[in-house]
Amino acid sequence: MTRALPAALLGVVVLAAIPLATRNSFFLHVCILVLMWTVLGAAWNVLGGFAGQVSFGHAALFAVGAYTTIILYLKCGLAPWWGIPLGGVAAALVSFPIGILCFRLRGPYFSLATLAVAEIIKLVALNWESVTAGSVGYLITSLPPVRLFGLNVNWESKTPFYTAAGALAVVALLATGWLRGSRLGAYLVAIRENEDAAEAVGIDTVRAKVVTLALSAFLAGMGGGFYAFYFRYVDPDAVAGISLSMEMVFIAVVGGLGTVAGPLIGAVFLTAVAEVVRGRFQTGHLIFYGLFMMLVIRFMPEGIWGRARRLTARAAAGE
Amino acid sequence: MALLEVQGLTRHFGGVSAVSDLSFSVNEGEILGLIGPNGSGKTTVFNLVTGFLRPLAGAIRLDGQSVVGMRPHAVARRGIARTFQIVKPFPGLSALENVTLAAFLRHPARRDAEAAAALVLGRVGLGERLNEIASRLTLMDQKRLEMAKALATTPRLLLLDEPMGGLNATEVDNASELVHRIRASGVTVVLVEHVMKAIMKISDRVVVMNQGEKIAEGRPERVVEEPAVLAAYFGKHVA
Repeated sequence: MTRALPAALLGVVVLAAIPLATRNSFFLHVCILVLMWTVLGAAWNVLGGFAGQVSFGHAALFAVGAYTTIILYLKCGLAPWWGIPLGGVAAALVSFPIGILCFRLRGPYFSLATLAVAEIIKLVALNWESVTAGSVGYLITSLPPVRLFGLNVNWESKTPFYTAAGALAVVALLATGWLRGSRLGAYLVAIRENEDAAEAVGIDTVRAKVVTLALSAFLAGMGGGFYAFYFRYVDPDAVAGISLSMEMVFIAVVGGLGTVAGPLIGAVFLTAVAEVVRGRFQTGHLIFYGLFMMLVIRFMPEGIWGRARRLTARAAAGE
Repeated sequence: MALLEVQGLTRHFGGVSAVSDLSFSVNEGEILGLIGPNGSGKTTVFNLVTGFLRPLAGAIRLDGQSVVGMRPHAVARRGIARTFQIVKPFPGLSALENVTLAAFLRHPARRDAEAAAALVLGRVGLGERLNEIASRLTLMDQKRLEMAKALATTPRLLLLDEPMGGLNATEVDNASELVHRIRASGVTVVLVEHVMKAIMKISDRVVVMNQGEKIAEGRPERVVEEPAVLAAYFGKHVA
């Protein structure tokens, strides 16, 4: 814990320095993607990594956030800095009935139930045209003129989006760090280790899981809200597809389940690998992406960050 | 009034009746042995009392208040703790972390919970192994850990499911002594056990079950002479 604070401060400094150090907008775009995926990986990690509840349906929560944010903007003119947190709140509210239904099941049955819920949400988004515009989707053509500290915000540059994504990623990682030290976090680990034993010593496992899912949904929903503003386009395939759910799982697993920095590390590696192989191989780049993932899972099941931490711990012990 | 009262407890699994119309009570401060041949429903009784299973009929009262329909964590909060026949530690966590999770029930602050957990671990004889990972402990120590977790919830009633199963003779003696010490600290104990010698020695009273029903109840040395008990254990010809 004593080393975590300087590391976190260093991280924030690096984060703040990147847009000052580069004018390369593609590089900034990749950084924005990394930060967005960090938020989503962290969202999945609090439930999947800490509580061991493997969700295959987190795209549903992402979609609720994305739709809430974009609809509030287009229909009510609500600015992003209100719309994105409200997207998180909407996703958290939707998560309660999902949790109450799916947490009746354990293990793989829970995972399958979340998969089904995500498909249901996607079908709702496709068919409830009066609210979601169906398969046509919503498009943001212009963002509101904003003056901040006496300067006009330039929506055509990447900087405002980078700042927003950075702030969300910091919030997500701080929330994870808080969770790890909290009593709730300890309960989640107990649930992951043995759910019956957790109940037997007086832990309300359903409540702990529902609360955690709500936290996870809040983060995923804000990620969805950010996505809506950054890509300016929301339709069911883009925000509610199963590949999105899977990507969140991969980031958390590759980074290191149940660790604080894991999602950031996972997002850096997977985004980098995806961009590099997409550049080199026009077709079939997903094969290399998949291969990378298989190698990590085969040789580092505890994830990149999990392995790094174990190695540094061993080195410290060997001194 | 008895600490725990069970009346007309009934539970079927499909067509098989695991527990039928079972009534017994546990007095404050006693050690009650619950015995019976394999499959006679002893563990099911524990699962019903602690909320892991719901009874089809019957009443379960702790201090006169019903606990039927409560989830296990709520039963634990009321003051009934249990161990599992097949131990269920949090395998990847240290002994101290295991017990701290249980101590959180009465001590919300982590520091207090850890202090309480260390104390309990000392009481069960694991004071030297606080930082050992639970899955690496010996079976005997895992059984101790199981008891420490239950005790850390500061129960009034402790249900022990075969705490001596799989232990050798010396370990059985140690475990018996531990159960006595737990009772001396003011916790009432119900014990399911297959090791007959041990249970006869440490129980004040025993309830004998067979095929889900109570067939005898009383002081251990009396009960073993009852024909119904002999028949259940050894077959009708012996009786």
